[in-house]
Amino acid sequence: MNLVFGKYVPLNSVLHRVDPRSKIIALFVLLVAIFVPDSWWAYLALSLFCILLCALSKISAKTVLKTFKPLIFMMVFLLVINCLSIKTGDVLAEAFGFAVYSDAVFNTLKTVVRLLLMIIITTVLTATTKPLDLTLGIEYLLKPLRVVKFPVHEMAMMISIALRFIPTIIEETMRIMNAQKSRGVDFEEGSLKEKINAILSLIVPLFSVAFERAYELADAMEARGYVPGNARTRYKELKFGFIDAVYMLSAIAILAFSIFTKIYL
Amino acid sequence: MKIIEVKNLVYSYDNKKMAANDISFEIEKGSYTTIIGHNGSGKSTLAKLMAGLLEAKSGEILIDGIKLNEENIQSIRNKMAIVFQNPDNQFIGSTVKDDIAFGLENHQVPGNQMEAIILEYAHKIGLDAFMDKEPSNLSGGQKQRVAIAGALAMGPDIIIFDEATSMLDPKGKRDIKKIMSDLHKEKNITIISITHDIEEVLQADNCIVMNAGKILMIDKPSKIFEKSEELRKVGLEVPFSALVKEALKKEGLKVKSDDLEGMVKELWQLHSNH
Amino acid sequence: MAITFKSLSYIYDKGTPFAHVALDKIDLSLEEGKVTALIGETGSGKSTLVEHLNALLLPSEGELEILDYKMVAGHKTKGLKMLRKKVGLVFQFSEYQLFEETILKDVAFGPMNFGVTPEEAQKKAVKALKLVGISEDLFNNSPLDLSGGQKRRVAIAGILAIEPDIIVLDEPTAGLDPKGAQDIISLFMKINRQYGKTIIIVSHDNDMVYNYADEVVLMSKGHVVTKKETVEFFDDDALLDEYGILRPQIVMFKKMLKDIGFKLKGENRTLEDLSKTIVKEVRR
Repeated sequence: MNLVFGKYVPLNSVLHRVDPRSKIIALFVLLVAIFVPDSWWAYLALSLFCILLCALSKISAKTVLKTFKPLIFMMVFLLVINCLSIKTGDVLAEAFGFAVYSDAVFNTLKTVVRLLLMIIITTVLTATTKPLDLTLGIEYLLKPLRVVKFPVHEMAMMISIALRFIPTIIEETMRIMNAQKSRGVDFEEGSLKEKINAILSLIVPLFSVAFERAYELADAMEARGYVPGNARTRYKELKFGFIDAVYMLSAIAILAFSIFTKIYL
Repeated sequence: MKIIEVKNLVYSYDNKKMAANDISFEIEKGSYTTIIGHNGSGKSTLAKLMAGLLEAKSGEILIDGIKLNEENIQSIRNKMAIVFQNPDNQFIGSTVKDDIAFGLENHQVPGNQMEAIILEYAHKIGLDAFMDKEPSNLSGGQKQRVAIAGALAMGPDIIIFDEATSMLDPKGKRDIKKIMSDLHKEKNITIISITHDIEEVLQADNCIVMNAGKILMIDKPSKIFEKSEELRKVGLEVPFSALVKEALKKEGLKVKSDDLEGMVKELWQLHSNH
Repeated sequence: MAITFKSLSYIYDKGTPFAHVALDKIDLSLEEGKVTALIGETGSGKSTLVEHLNALLLPSEGELEILDYKMVAGHKTKGLKMLRKKVGLVFQFSEYQLFEETILKDVAFGPMNFGVTPEEAQKKAVKALKLVGISEDLFNNSPLDLSGGQKRRVAIAGILAIEPDIIVLDEPTAGLDPKGAQDIISLFMKINRQYGKTIIIVSHDNDMVYNYADEVVLMSKGHVVTKKETVEFFDDDALLDEYGILRPQIVMFKKMLKDIGFKLKGENRTLEDLSKTIVKEVRR
């Protein structure tokens, strides 16, 4: 899999050390900051900030560019649609009785820039934060929901166990798939009926193994003293420090600048 | 001193076949007991009953003199840990450290004390180099070692091993058996191990043979293996040395020793005398 | 020759920074009708090699001939599906491949995938189930309700019903109790002797290998170290020590006897033969 989007990249950077809560809040603040302004000055500031983030996270430019690749088709499609529908602004070019207007190009460009910025800031979060730390951060941030009896901790436990078992389940899927291939199952070709049977031959064993695992896991957790709803201490405590505050405040500053450009420019 | 007393224990999964049929036995503190029997003889059920994961239909279990019931199960779990068969299905944390921490978190050990405890027990089991590894990068034997470190970190008096070596390769099996024997000898931890491994049965103090939910025999391993016919009848293996003794007997040669080394010496003696 | 590897290499994630050579220039040929044991440490490449036999993996370099099929790295081979009919692969913990509503349907699933009519497939399934010792009154039960040992047998029947010429077993006895393990091994020996099927067995259980295999192939770090007749292999002390191979118990016993001074004549492969030889020696 060459997909980089959403994947954790184990490096040792400043951003890897920033508190996940700070990073999650910053993500939302920056998302708002991206959608508020119209001014190119705001986008320039946001772009510079994103470049700074990438540099700080030690993620290579190549990696970031790779995440853009699947979007190229969408961008071209958007440009064509906009050129056909938007007929305001100056005429930039004309051929065969068809005119391309400046607003069409600028609108497309703006959408594209917004999208790319969004992808960069999300990638920065997922690439620098372990899935488990992300869960931990979300759990801390959702703590107030406990007041309304929302099982925040149990939810977080479920997510972290799911994350832990993803590689195991993938491996299992490959194994069952191979076993069924040996029995003559063709996962690529065949009629609809054959395809349904092929999928069943994979899904049924996968579920039965998953249930078996779940039961054994529940026993293991119980034997090790886990009781849902009981108080537990924490091995990994999140500590909100100076750089976490700086990180969050700089995101807020960018948002403030975006709002400023929206109102005054 | 008795650390476990089981009295008239009865359990069945569907009220038809008895998985535990009036089982009674006692286990000495600091002893090493293996439980053998073919698959479906009720060994694992017994382990789960002792660990409080199943509730007996009748009868009772005393752990260190305290009767096991729903109220005190949590405090009894401080004294007793269990290591299961499948290395993957008991690995809860995302890394070795996190997994050892899981039990400590449940028992509300203060967060700032955990690191030291985790490092101490990981070191004892030889996991120092693996602390930040994820389960998918560990072998089966290494995962079982993590499970043992996690169990030890709770400071238990008793550890139950439920076929803990059966899914491992020979090297993994050897490692885990060695650890079990060391825990028994050096840490004076009471070990109860459900197994199919004859070699392991021989390294223990006592052996319980189960069949159809009942206890067939309880004795020292050497005594158990004298009854090779009875063991075969319930689908169990006989140690190699007993097989040699039988084969020689068939050829009209009786040897006294029970172990191979003794036999070889005895045979050489006979050869030299001739 | 049933199977011939010609300087075959397999590289996982070829062309990426994670590239890993799992098989390195393997040259190996296996004869028809024999029982061959494939041994070696975890990670020595046994499983990768086995997956080639069923075209689940294709060579990265070199070539592989199985019966009438030839797979050459970089070339497309046609009819790989039919190769899978000729080579049956019984995976480790094969009970996890059962999925149909009834045992009979599950066993008939394989033959039907290879184009046999439903009636014919059913016949083959019944035959295979009888061979593995599943009683007829269970045929219409769900395979998921069986005990572990029975499930494994149904899974094996599912492969036997395809009627392959070569049967490859990956740790067929893992997780079974001694009696269950013995039953499974005896079954495959019967299949080898009665039907002349070629059997390749991957195992860590050297006692079982010694008792049943005709030849042993030792793998280490992606290489084939050697292929030898079983008795000869386990008599090679230098080799066993170099690769840290556990001796089967009878070999261990023979070594103890030799070390003390006994001169044992003959192969003495079974305990029966060995005790006869011992008695002869003692009474000489």
